[in-house]
Amino acid sequence: MRSSTVGWLFLAPTLVILFIFGVLPFLYVLVIGFTQWNSFAADPTMQYNGVENFRRLVFDEQFLYSLWLTLKFGFFAVTSQILLGYFLAQLFMRDFPGKGFFRTIHTLPLVIAPIAVGATWRLMLVPGLGPIPYYLRQWFGYDLNISRYVDQAFLATVVMDVWHWTPLVTLTMLAALASLPKEPFEQAQIDGANRFQIFWHVTLPLLKPAILATVFIRLMDALRTVDEVWMLTGGGPGAATRYIGLHIWRVVFPKTDYGYGSSMSLITLYLTIVMCWLLYAGLVARRDLKRVD
Amino acid sequence: MKHFNIPGRSLVATVFVAALMTSTAPAFADFWSDAAKDLQGATIRGISESTPPSNYVKDVLAPQFTEKTGITVEFEATSWDQMYDKAIKDMEANTGIYDFVYIEQDIIYSYLARDFLVNLTDMLAENESLKSPDFDATKFTTFIDNFKNADGDIFGVPMEAFVKVYLYRKDLFEDPAVQAAYKEKTGADLKPATTHAEYRQIAQFFTEHAQANGMEMWGTTVQASSGHPASVYEFIESVLPTYGVYNWGIDTTTFAASVENGGKMNSDVAKEALAWWVGNLEFAPPESTSSTWDEVAATFAAGRAAQGLVYGENAAWIATNPDKSTVVGKVGVALPPVAEGVMDQAKSGEGYIGYYDGGAFGIPHSSKNKEAALLFLQYIGEESVQADWALAGSRIVHQATYADPKIVEQDAKVDGYYTLMKDQGPLFRGAPPFPFHNQAREAMAPFIYQAITGELQPAEALDKAAAAVDAELKNLGYRK
Repeated sequence: MRSSTVGWLFLAPTLVILFIFGVLPFLYVLVIGFTQWNSFAADPTMQYNGVENFRRLVFDEQFLYSLWLTLKFGFFAVTSQILLGYFLAQLFMRDFPGKGFFRTIHTLPLVIAPIAVGATWRLMLVPGLGPIPYYLRQWFGYDLNISRYVDQAFLATVVMDVWHWTPLVTLTMLAALASLPKEPFEQAQIDGANRFQIFWHVTLPLLKPAILATVFIRLMDALRTVDEVWMLTGGGPGAATRYIGLHIWRVVFPKTDYGYGSSMSLITLYLTIVMCWLLYAGLVARRDLKRVD
Repeated sequence: MKHFNIPGRSLVATVFVAALMTSTAPAFADFWSDAAKDLQGATIRGISESTPPSNYVKDVLAPQFTEKTGITVEFEATSWDQMYDKAIKDMEANTGIYDFVYIEQDIIYSYLARDFLVNLTDMLAENESLKSPDFDATKFTTFIDNFKNADGDIFGVPMEAFVKVYLYRKDLFEDPAVQAAYKEKTGADLKPATTHAEYRQIAQFFTEHAQANGMEMWGTTVQASSGHPASVYEFIESVLPTYGVYNWGIDTTTFAASVENGGKMNSDVAKEALAWWVGNLEFAPPESTSSTWDEVAATFAAGRAAQGLVYGENAAWIATNPDKSTVVGKVGVALPPVAEGVMDQAKSGEGYIGYYDGGAFGIPHSSKNKEAALLFLQYIGEESVQADWALAGSRIVHQATYADPKIVEQDAKVDGYYTLMKDQGPLFRGAPPFPFHNQAREAMAPFIYQAITGELQPAEALDKAAAAVDAELKNLGYRK
């Protein structure tokens, strides 16, 4: 048997599963995205309606707002995680008492299911009764009410996401920092570079692949966040945390507007791919082009 | 001697009779074991919202039924959102996961429009051997009419029904010191509110009174979750009717919502109602903007509000269960406050003053165990199980339950809630017969949420909500 045939045989189970659970549902969504199909419409049957759903999307204020909100959430959450994760990784590169214990504790959020993270934060932040709003009011007279003030709710979802996922960034950065060669740093020190210059001209360029991979992973996760936010705020107050995943859920399930919801999913997928490609082109392809020059 | 002989003879006689009964048992087997003899070992699955009445079915009635029939009942009591999500998907995809589903009164019209449910009247007529002699549809209250089609055929067996009432802290309202303080502050006597102005005045008084006395209490509950449909329901089903705006402000013949199209959703009266309701937040606990029906009940039970509109399913445990409630024996029950003329309209049948909520269990066409499910639905619909179920869940669906001694006794403890439901129930009404219930609600919801957070003024919110509902119903093909 040829080696390539054996390879395909080993891959076959994975490919079959991927096809059934990945490709087929995608094709189904693709087809439904071009139909009008609401099971509680006057005519509940699925009807082809061309690009009408996509035309509606362009003028759908709620969809566009959700999209903008999601991008804003992704930007603040991922940026915070990268910065905080890098500083924590630098901290763990040094020796200090209780380092092992602290490192273990700090990774615990990673093993908690998102729905449980949302529930925990909800218990802590529930207006009037949660310990955080209670003590903020008792000690500082500050009125923290994430079900009433839109900015507080948005910030709470960002902080929750940062709390949950920064450990992943830290671990990635830690692995990357630990694998960096010593020579460039020694050379830079001999050349008289200060700490900032070493960071900017040596550490950062060497870490760029790891940072980029982490940004991709976290950004894609942030753009499809649903469960944590669903538990914490339910998308509210108003539409303050109705990120695109939650918005699509509301359209597809409570409203049973399968056609329109599918078109939203397709557009969101397309935008995510485009955004990642742009990021890749901006940070990696440009460097490759420079090398060619 | 004689003294001891009589019991001895009785004992012998008793043993003899018991032995005789045992030996003849197969000939006198009860209906359930006879009817289920071909279904033993079957498993039926059902889904419902996790509420006191549903949990009673899961914990008490389902095991009883299994014992009598040998049919296992797997009962899933989950959140309201998940319940709909799963049930609708199952019926739509025809997967047959569930053999009976909870049908809330307000969704029955959507289910009937999609022909999701089995006609129970026909099924019972076609299956004489499955017809329980103790199941009698005429014994139910008129609430069962919500689950009938135009021909009077039944599609659901009622399992719960209650009215959303005005609960107030009777101990505080009857406290002479509080009454004197109220009189001094407002010039009026402290009594349960009958108008919106009185309600607001009481709410303001108790909020200020609590603050002045270092109490963690506010003047009113508000079911104003800013991201959950519960808030939309409180406004459209419990507040709008008290202002005389019925059927959510949607015209039931043209399905128009906005005033310019003939609806009333953004009428001046509706805007006044929303402004009143949102204004109550100033005198409500901080958790109000994250409160659904459950949290409102919890808030009242925790003694954090002096009054509020609370779903009746919670009335009994709030008033009687010291394990869950801090206001046991301190709860008063009354009708909601209404605008001038609304009570007369309700009495004449032209209008209503609040929400008559409840639900039934129905069998989806997709069920794979329809016969077993039919038996279960009849079992929970029998008169014999109703009283204890009512005690556990403040729900009454049988006329006779009102007169049961256990209910009469509990009625006194809940300040006559059951009497109010029996006598004043006709003043309340269920949701309008819209086949687009969820769709219309979801269309207006974002704007109600934004009115709660203050992002939109009430008038602006209702203008946008009405326009959104009009657009949605046009898109769905219900409006030209």
